[in-house]
Amino acid sequence: MADRVMLTIGTKKGVFVAEASKARRSFALRGPFGTGVPVYSTLVDSRGTPTIYASSCNPFFGMKVLKSTNMGKSFKETKSAPAFPKDDGRALVNIWSIEPGKAKKELWAGAEPASLFRSYDAGDSWEMVPGISNHEHARKWSPGNGGLCMHTIIRDGNRVHLGISTGGHYLSEDGGETFSASNTGVGAGFQPDPYPEFGQCVHKIARHDAAPGRLYMQNHGGWADWTGPGGPRPDIGVLRSDDYGHSWRSIAKGLPSDFGFPIVVHPHDADTIYVMPLEPATRTCPGGAPAVWRSENGGDAWSKLKKGLPKKESYFTILRDAMTIDELKTPALYFGTTTGQLWIGREGGEKFECLFDALPPIHNVKVAVV
Amino acid sequence: MDTVTTVTLYLPEPLRTYGGGAELLVSARTVQALLDDLEQTRPILYRNVCDETGAMRRHLNIFVNADNVRDLAGLDTALEPGDVITIVPAVSGG
Repeated sequence: MADRVMLTIGTKKGVFVAEASKARRSFALRGPFGTGVPVYSTLVDSRGTPTIYASSCNPFFGMKVLKSTNMGKSFKETKSAPAFPKDDGRALVNIWSIEPGKAKKELWAGAEPASLFRSYDAGDSWEMVPGISNHEHARKWSPGNGGLCMHTIIRDGNRVHLGISTGGHYLSEDGGETFSASNTGVGAGFQPDPYPEFGQCVHKIARHDAAPGRLYMQNHGGWADWTGPGGPRPDIGVLRSDDYGHSWRSIAKGLPSDFGFPIVVHPHDADTIYVMPLEPATRTCPGGAPAVWRSENGGDAWSKLKKGLPKKESYFTILRDAMTIDELKTPALYFGTTTGQLWIGREGGEKFECLFDALPPIHNVKVAVV
Repeated sequence: MDTVTTVTLYLPEPLRTYGGGAELLVSARTVQALLDDLEQTRPILYRNVCDETGAMRRHLNIFVNADNVRDLAGLDTALEPGDVITIVPAVSGG
């Protein structure tokens, strides 16, 4: 019976694991593992024996994939990490996402430079997925501030949605064999053409199984005041698709800023979504007062959730994978900050509390009930 | 006539688990040949030193005795029997 809440926290100095009972009154922290090495992606794979994966981006010795089969008490390297074929000419820089595949031991990894890898043996060997990694657009994508990263992998039967910064949203409808840029309605603010075929700086994409065809996107917003070629492009930062990602429309009206990184869907209500608006210039909380914003009607209206959060003098950033929500009956929201705080938003974000106040800068937070 | 050039490769602590210890005896006439030998005989250790394009990882330095190979002939630096080749992580990070 699943009765433990497991948080994985990828930081600039390794991965931490925090464990609690389902009441979530207090979390016990373990780690860091992969000490001193940045971790940008984690996965708590609850298929079978719970297994935790963490990418370990070693600037000296290259990419590793860490794996724990004892609930995060210890980690070991898998036998190999994703790597490009020798004659490809590209070298792996980082892994930005690890997601479960269809088969029990199947994993998918989104990498930097933007590319997709698949493992069928729980991370011991990897193969590049050529349909997107060698896509005709691949050599035209360019890095955003975080690097040229494939950060979102969403599997939905034979559909696969990928988020690339900067590349945009790519869709496969044949299980990942072939991909097409699918960015109609997705704006870009950093080039004259406001709606290019590809090249958008998508920050994160989310979906819910109960709403087939619907997707939510946090895109790179903050271009309302642009006066150069192509003109202003307000509200391009928070978007929704109702046709499996073939087209997108803005749902940013009502937010204090359409810039942000994560976007999260409530586990039991496909209409309820969460974003963390940031000042586009500084990428920090507007006015130094952090708040999560929630929509309960699919983005038609937004409300501010701030109870328990600092009211002033807080200028942190919440990165694209640093906000998540658990799947308990009354779910809790979690977010980690670049200043090393891990917050829990109890009752779906109604009341926030700082769980850990001084971790290293947080890149990634994932949760599972195991 | 070919002669065997045996050198000692000294590994930093994080790489010893892949190399089986702190020191390895390797037969190679150049630094590149030493890396090529590692690619064949110890591929996991090699992948820690070079990326998949064959380039040496940029935060690592290789010394032949007391000299950084970048001040010699780079990876083409010739080796002599008894040389000590040391791999050292650069002083970087934060």
